[in-house]
Amino acid sequence: MSALQQLQHEFIDYLLGSPSNIASHIQSTRTYSAKERLNIYAYAYTARLKEAIETDYEKLHLYLGDEQFDQLLERYVDKYPSQHTSLRYFSASMATLLREEAPYNELPVLAEIASIEAAFTDSFDAKNAKQATLTELAELPSEAWESLSFNFQPSLQLLPFMFNSFAVWKALTDEETPPDTEQHEHTNVWLMWRDIELISRYRPLSEPEAAALNIAVKGDSFPTLCEELLNHFDEDETPIKAIGFLQTWVQEGLISKFNHE
Amino acid sequence: MTNNRPFLGFGLGLRTDHYQHVIEKKPQVDWFEIISENYMVPGGKPLANLDKIRADYPMVMHGVSMSIGSTDPLNMQYLKDLKTLIQRVEPYWYSDHLCWTHVKQTNSHDLLPLPYNEATITHIVDRISQVQDFIGRPMLIENLSSYVTYNESEMPEWQFFNDIAKRSGCYLLLDINNIFVSANNHHFEPVDYINGVDIDNVMQFHLAGHSYQGDMIIDTHDHDVCDPVWDLYAIALKRFGAVSTMIERDDNIPDFPELRAELAIAEKIAADVLTPNELLISGQPVLQGAA
Repeated sequence: MSALQQLQHEFIDYLLGSPSNIASHIQSTRTYSAKERLNIYAYAYTARLKEAIETDYEKLHLYLGDEQFDQLLERYVDKYPSQHTSLRYFSASMATLLREEAPYNELPVLAEIASIEAAFTDSFDAKNAKQATLTELAELPSEAWESLSFNFQPSLQLLPFMFNSFAVWKALTDEETPPDTEQHEHTNVWLMWRDIELISRYRPLSEPEAAALNIAVKGDSFPTLCEELLNHFDEDETPIKAIGFLQTWVQEGLISKFNHE
Repeated sequence: MTNNRPFLGFGLGLRTDHYQHVIEKKPQVDWFEIISENYMVPGGKPLANLDKIRADYPMVMHGVSMSIGSTDPLNMQYLKDLKTLIQRVEPYWYSDHLCWTHVKQTNSHDLLPLPYNEATITHIVDRISQVQDFIGRPMLIENLSSYVTYNESEMPEWQFFNDIAKRSGCYLLLDINNIFVSANNHHFEPVDYINGVDIDNVMQFHLAGHSYQGDMIIDTHDHDVCDPVWDLYAIALKRFGAVSTMIERDDNIPDFPELRAELAIAEKIAADVLTPNELLISGQPVLQGAA
């Protein structure tokens, strides 16, 4: 290990709060000791990472309050040192921490609120893609439907919730008192995507539409999607429902491309 | 002064707070500097706004995460993303800091200082050469504000800065505020720094504000440029001639017209120090081709 490498490893260890000999490499002056000088960097390291999380999880902050949110930030900064060149991605594991670790996992709505906020961030700068049109759909040859599959907007996300977390998030967004948390009987799925005006949109999905969209985003074909819908509708109703969902997705700009053999 | 240095005039750091104003009002500013990492994203509004503003203004790119001084291998994915952005923006030049940010799989998200000695120069010259070969254009490196001096440092920062530029073929982005901050924190004369930097290598100036923490000055970019830094700027102009100048503001960001008025102070100082001929903007794209 070169002297420079040794120096840098000791410096980063100091920032991470690990044992480090870096102070012996730093000149002290009459007004500031080596440690006081190093602590300017140590303070800035934590403050900068905390600020990044605060920016990404404003509603979670509101829900938890300053003190508990700050404890969460300390935990996160300790557990997930930043590995990416951009702070944009630093807080991406927040929902995972909240889902996995006590005491946060005792209140599952926390992880779900975090996943909503992360979904907005991901939607904001997701890759651009063109939007397929109803005209293109109408002009598909009839034989195309047997193998028809779809490419979706890279911003599209399906968010499953066991609790009324979206209602909590919405109340926090509207600066209203959030409702008491309630567990749903079944998982509720919300759809989020970015529209052509670059605005992030969201809406809840019915159970059949969630099932159909889940099949479609995996790349399965339209006939497979229809088979899935037979679990929700009778045989006569299914094609109309399937086409209805598909038209909605096209109108909302969710689909970027039709594929067929 | 050098005869072939391009002079872009007076610019500002492009910040999200000002997108709407810039897009709608198209205020008079000679150029903008963007933070490269803010646009190294897959798509969406950041790139859409960037494209709109780039259509109306010259730009330069300024990075914070190249980690040119690190002993970790160069991050090739970062460099690929940077090159892609350079191809999109077509900036007059791109810059980063004479520092390290990342080591041991950990990014500090801070501009950490280096020991100023021959071994570090050799290390950094090699890495700058790799970057310039990969990008296909020479880069600019910027002096830091710093709060520590290593026992291993063997030369003043300006000599370190000069030697790296001379041996790597890169150019210098001289941050006048950082000179003032480091001079205070390390007890040297800021004028000695300015007089020590080789004239021909300086391509751009940064100006910014700072904050006091006891006797130490912290490079916070959250205040107006202070009078002693304006004085240093005038001294720098006398030594280096017309150098493309911009103000960085990263926190406590004022409305655009207020920041533009601050930039007018730089314009006024330059008009007092330099001749009208020197202040003619030379708008030819430069630094194209291999390093």
